[in-house]
Amino acid sequence: MSLESRQALFRAVLVFAVAAIFLTPIAWMVGTSFKPPIEFVGTGIQILPDAPTWEHYHALAENDVWRRVVNSIVVSLGATALALLAAFPAAYALARIGLPHHLDRVFLVFVLIVKLAPPIVLAIPLYHVLRVLGLLDTLAGLILVHQVYALPFAIWMLLGFVRDVPIAYEEAAIMDGAGLIRRLRSIVGPIMLPGLVSTAAFVMILSWNEFLYALLFIQTPSKFTLPTFIATMITEDETLWGQLMAIGLVASLPILVLVGVMQKGLTRSFAAGLK
Amino acid sequence: MLPNVRRRDALILLLPALVLFAILTLYPLGRGLALSLFITDYGFEGARFVGLDNFVDLLSDRFFLGAVWNTVVFTVLATVSEVLLGLMLALLINRKFPGRRVVIPLLIMPFMLSTMVVTAIWRAWFHYDFGFLNNLLAAVALPPVEWLFDPDLAMLSLVLVDLWQTAPLTFLILLAGLQSIPPEIYEAARLDRATPWQIFRYVTLPLITPHLALAALLRSIDSFKIFDKVYALTGGGPGNATETLSMYVYRLGFRFFDIGFASAAAVVMIVVAGALAAIYVSRILRGGSHVA
Repeated sequence: MSLESRQALFRAVLVFAVAAIFLTPIAWMVGTSFKPPIEFVGTGIQILPDAPTWEHYHALAENDVWRRVVNSIVVSLGATALALLAAFPAAYALARIGLPHHLDRVFLVFVLIVKLAPPIVLAIPLYHVLRVLGLLDTLAGLILVHQVYALPFAIWMLLGFVRDVPIAYEEAAIMDGAGLIRRLRSIVGPIMLPGLVSTAAFVMILSWNEFLYALLFIQTPSKFTLPTFIATMITEDETLWGQLMAIGLVASLPILVLVGVMQKGLTRSFAAGLK
Repeated sequence: MLPNVRRRDALILLLPALVLFAILTLYPLGRGLALSLFITDYGFEGARFVGLDNFVDLLSDRFFLGAVWNTVVFTVLATVSEVLLGLMLALLINRKFPGRRVVIPLLIMPFMLSTMVVTAIWRAWFHYDFGFLNNLLAAVALPPVEWLFDPDLAMLSLVLVDLWQTAPLTFLILLAGLQSIPPEIYEAARLDRATPWQIFRYVTLPLITPHLALAALLRSIDSFKIFDKVYALTGGGPGNATETLSMYVYRLGFRFFDIGFASAAAVVMIVVAGALAAIYVSRILRGGSHVA
């Protein structure tokens, strides 16, 4: 074995050891969701269960957790649809059409600053907005306020994808007399479909994980989304860890699926800050 | 730019986004700014105009000053530790080894989890009697620790959770930086018999400075907002030892309904966050891309 390949092997062992330590909390979550309570309410340091059980998942079913899962799905799908419907045309206009007085630039900078601002600073006036609209304590209201995060993110991400569509295609279509709608539908849309899909996936994750506005604007427990439901369990029940970790796993699986969906633009979106 | 698209079309295309922004950010910003000039427990009815008094009072409110201090401490500790751990991970993974393509998605997993799920795991790990961390300490014959209820330690525990969840982000940014360095530069340095430390110090570090700055900037903008973890791990306690600005505004606005005062604190947050954002925005405008 050459020195170089021995170094590579040593590096692999080191990296996997580091990764194993780093991922212990996740392994513990999965393991604990299958442990009988006697195994986690104690002083052991075992990651995996001795006598695996489904009891916590059964308890969840009785706990009406599925209603919160449905709420979370409704909110994240609704927020994603709304964000894309508003952001796709906006991103196209900003990428392709010059506005007078650099207004496009001003708008983009404003959008970015909103994205970076702490969400709590809008919370008090947003409460009033939702009350006036009659959307307080409704999932529709939550879908609306999730646009505070989702829309800036979607506009900035889609902007990059629109710019990647060669402008010559559109110019050729204009020569052939294709109007704006036609070009969006049959040229720009299809070419940037992967971009639209990964943007949708990211917005969905954003909305699926959102906590602050769900906490402030939804009061009825049956309308809670998963993050607020989990928060209630964390703060009210001392050690129902089996159930808590089971919900954690249920809440995490869709994200893993979505991450698989959107290889494209992964780093771009990470750098744009998913939180 | 397409020259022959009409301005009217542009406006129609932008309209849905503009309406949403008007309802969800412009109007709330204006209303929040106006409310900060009043003493009120809901809106403008029955409110008393006090000018800048709320801001003056903030400066002498020890809870506000405490929240400012806690936010600064958290932001600095979290940002520095996350950039350092991200850099170490990136340096470790940068060179080729078997299984590299598998390990990168694995390392990113904590960042993909919902913050509330992350918080649930760590709240259990921090438990005094049965928590994994204290059990681990006991296993090596060390005394248990009050992770969340010791005023000196609670902040560090929050930083630890944040570090675990977001080091994958700084890792990804810095890995992209390392990968963008042309290998010829390293070969040249090796021909000149530079030691590994010299290569790191005089080749790698200067070349990834833009990525380090980007990672630090993104993490400080984000840490400055921290709410979820504080809410569900410590509730701002013990006492007010971990109450950050977001938590402070939440407590005043949504628990005590001191809307004018809470709005004034929110305005202060907007100014600070705006300053941080301005640095980021100016980088983007110069760079033309929002990646680096």
